[in-house]
Amino acid sequence: MPPKINASFVEKILTRFIRDELAKCGFCKGILGLSGGLDSAVCASLAARALGPRNVLGLIMPYGQSFPEDVRDALRLAKTLGLRSEVIDIAPQVDVYFSAHPTRSRLLRGNKMARERMAILYDHSSRENALVLGTSNKTELLIGYGTICGDLACAINPMGDLYKSQVRELAAHLRIPVAIRRKAPTAGLWPGQTDEGEIGLAYAELDEILFGLVDQKKSRAEMIGAGHKPGRVDRVMRLIRRSEFKRRLPPIAKLSARSVGHDFLYPFDWGK
Amino acid sequence: MRVALAQSSARLGDVKANAAGHLETLDRARRAKADLVVFPELSLTGYTLRDLAEEVALDPHSDPLFRKIVSRCRGISAVVGFMEERSEEKGIFYNSAAFISERRILHIHRKVFLPTNGMFDEARFYAAGREFRTFDTPFGRAGLLICRDFLHYGSSYALYSGGADMIICVSAAPGRGVAGGQAFETSRMWELMGEAMSYFSTAFVIYANRVGIEDGVTFAGGSYIYGPGGRLLVRASSLEPELLIHRLDFAAVREARRKWVFKRDEKPEIVLRSLERVVRAPED
Repeated sequence: MPPKINASFVEKILTRFIRDELAKCGFCKGILGLSGGLDSAVCASLAARALGPRNVLGLIMPYGQSFPEDVRDALRLAKTLGLRSEVIDIAPQVDVYFSAHPTRSRLLRGNKMARERMAILYDHSSRENALVLGTSNKTELLIGYGTICGDLACAINPMGDLYKSQVRELAAHLRIPVAIRRKAPTAGLWPGQTDEGEIGLAYAELDEILFGLVDQKKSRAEMIGAGHKPGRVDRVMRLIRRSEFKRRLPPIAKLSARSVGHDFLYPFDWGK
Repeated sequence: MRVALAQSSARLGDVKANAAGHLETLDRARRAKADLVVFPELSLTGYTLRDLAEEVALDPHSDPLFRKIVSRCRGISAVVGFMEERSEEKGIFYNSAAFISERRILHIHRKVFLPTNGMFDEARFYAAGREFRTFDTPFGRAGLLICRDFLHYGSSYALYSGGADMIICVSAAPGRGVAGGQAFETSRMWELMGEAMSYFSTAFVIYANRVGIEDGVTFAGGSYIYGPGGRLLVRASSLEPELLIHRLDFAAVREARRKWVFKRDEKPEIVLRSLERVVRAPED
């Protein structure tokens, strides 16, 4: 398994990261989507501690009435943390689009919804003078379990180097309500969807395989030697390889002596 | 002698702002009766420079901002980290640190071991220094190391053999590993080396590391001073900027060398002969 984290130390680092990065860009407010799930709850709690709860806006963006419990949990969390929050139903704008371009694909519909939420977050980011906080964790980033230009879009990501199991540890430390911590993780693309069902692996094993392959740089053979089924190791390796595009800016065709993304390498925090 | 560890952050690529910060810190340290202020690696520029390196590089003998810092070092000494482009070596960039005292640069060390692996890519942008040399200061003989230099223990040996009473390491070491206590796991590596080197070289080891965040990377702080004989004298926190001041008594060097005769019995000529053989015939 990924190593246990010292949650109070990690909290210090991440609250500092949120505060520093925002301040460097000239912002003191953060905005994020609250799904009612674990990751966004942890991120919201960190942001509230880093920026003060009134400087955090949680947008709750359900599709109609499809996940009433999640809306209820998200509202409750916002209240507990003292965040500002707003519920925006994305059904009208999504329905208009799909009535003109119908599909039966749940994945297409789910991705579209994730991108509508992104567009609303960025619109409010500008209205509110607040930067969008990303909530993707290391597990999701490594296997590409996120919608490009959807939930993966953000200004900064405090959680991207924590595996799901480590996010859980942090959640316990931050006293995220049990109702949220006990829920089966879901991307909420359609009712009844669970991450583990869709990925085809339990998070415990997925984290273990990822930690071995990525952090410990173990080979396929070593992972299998450690007791993982070859099919599962191969599957995870394939997911990692296949999703590199979600972790990077798109490749730029290099033509000149100095090209963006190749050898024009200024730091992100330049002059900040 | 009172040493101030200026565990601090920097504004990336903004020498003007950082130079102003240095002047302020020097004044603060002077008010606190410090004799020497040690700033971290690349304290004038920030660490994650990459292509910015050539834009912020300076010649310490002519750059007006650097000269301002030098002229402020009156009644106080300082170790300052910067990106160096010497007038004699235009277009070559070094990760350097200068020891300044009584408005003079006593010594410049150019980082020899440039980390270029994993998250590091220094050798892609900087030239490597080519020597470790001790120099005399008003407080005793000193040697400078920059970050990774210190993790190659031959560097400390060279300074020790050169008679250093204090080994000063300036650093911008990022923290990795959060399973331990209220510090990054990688901080242990630095302390282990500080303890061992101070013990066996019977010299002070002064380590000034950075804090702050650059491009998502948190620097691990934990600046420290070990006394001769491996005793931890003072250690800064992992994340906070601090100006940590501690008095060093150089009688401790004599005491340690009297007690442990490593220095008296050292045989650098035999080490050198053995090394020469290794260097001449690396395939053996």
